[in-house]
Amino acid sequence: MKTKKTVACLGVAVLPLGALAAPEIYTIDPYHTYAHFEVDHLGVSRMRGRFDRTSGRFTIDRAAKTGSVELAIETASLTTGDNDKGSRPRARDEHLRGADFFNVAEFPRMTFKSTGVKFSGDSPAEITGQLTLLGVSRPLTIKVTRWVCKDNPMNRRPMCGGNGAGALKRSDFGMKYGIPAVGDELDLFFEFEGYRD
Amino acid sequence: MKDLLANPVVQSGVAPFAAGLAVAGLLIPLRLAGLAAGAGFLAAVWLIGNFGFAPLTATRRIVVLALAAPVLGALADLAFRPTRATAPALGAIFGAAAIWAFWSVLSQKDLPQGLVAAAGVAALVAWIVAFTASLQGDSVRAAAAGLALGVGTGVAAVLGASALLGQYGLALGSACGAFLLLVMVLGRRVAAGTTLALSASVAASLLGAGALLLAQLPWTALAALALVPVAVRLPLPEKSPAWLQAIVASIYSLAPAGAACFLAWQAGRGAGA
Repeated sequence: MKTKKTVACLGVAVLPLGALAAPEIYTIDPYHTYAHFEVDHLGVSRMRGRFDRTSGRFTIDRAAKTGSVELAIETASLTTGDNDKGSRPRARDEHLRGADFFNVAEFPRMTFKSTGVKFSGDSPAEITGQLTLLGVSRPLTIKVTRWVCKDNPMNRRPMCGGNGAGALKRSDFGMKYGIPAVGDELDLFFEFEGYRD
Repeated sequence: MKDLLANPVVQSGVAPFAAGLAVAGLLIPLRLAGLAAGAGFLAAVWLIGNFGFAPLTATRRIVVLALAAPVLGALADLAFRPTRATAPALGAIFGAAAIWAFWSVLSQKDLPQGLVAAAGVAALVAWIVAFTASLQGDSVRAAAAGLALGVGTGVAAVLGASALLGQYGLALGSACGAFLLLVMVLGRRVAAGTTLALSASVAASLLGAGALLLAQLPWTALAALALVPVAVRLPLPEKSPAWLQAIVASIYSLAPAGAACFLAWQAGRGAGA
């Protein structure tokens, strides 16, 4: 009888720790998660653009120091700030959405699925995975440059988020138009926030 | 040299013209001068650097069909005697093939919208292919139609926000222009055959449909392009030399092509104003 009570007490005591150690699942907050890109233009400036719609989830298990990320970025939502044709036949954003670049009619989204997460202390520092763009999958490494977890001060919901950066060669994905006038190297930047499920 | 070959003017103008002229000139004795269109198109695809087939995107399917067309055309010229049913049959085949080419885009649309788009694209390709293929016995008209279809599709696609499809179209026009030049110099003994008529019509119609579905070419521009193989049938000065007939036929065919470019230009400006 005494043994049973001890086991029960231990069970009650251990349960919250077990719950803490379990992987936490977060759903991306689309209003505070954006993917940005930066590309060389004519060897002069580094032009920036943004994808306005991103969805996905990430998990983190701090005890096991593991995690995973799945992102879907709507390529049709890209903007570089030039969406007004003015007196020209087409605006730059229309051209970027067309078959020469992101080909959004045929490939309306690009996805990232992690294959591994490296930790630095308790925080994820580097995420490796596969980026699928224009039907081609290639490895991509995202360095996590900022990572914060806390309760949202407004709604008290637990959240994690931060910033990340990676780089790719667009020609690796078959996006060859305009190289080298429009650079082959594409830098990606992410700002992301997610709420725990 | 690398910079020269990377120049869009060389990729879609000079090189396809030279390839078309060389192939047409060399193959006149074999009655395969019509391979000029396919050779020019292939030169552009090669130089632009998109000669790959994985993943098999809509643009790459266009290339596959555009390269299959001259092979099929040459087979038709060498192995069969064209009948009245040949051109409509080829139109039907490539109309159906157009749905395959654009399936990845069409299948993502809502069912009614996808059905309308599929039917429209298939009808456009079938129409242009059938009406152009039936010109196989008339080198002047077939080459003039190819020139206008290529140039018209090319310029309209560029205005419709796809430079790549535009370059392919212009390359096709350049190669057909090279063939037409030979006809002007050597006369009607330079046979276009189903080879040229099919190559030009399949590539141009698919590029136009691609610019509609993958970029922003308005359907009205495609409707104007569809009039090219009809307009080129207007009466020619039959007793005049071939060079004069070629000029008149080119004027006929380039008129609707010019209208297509104007409509593409206007659509862009109107929507953005």
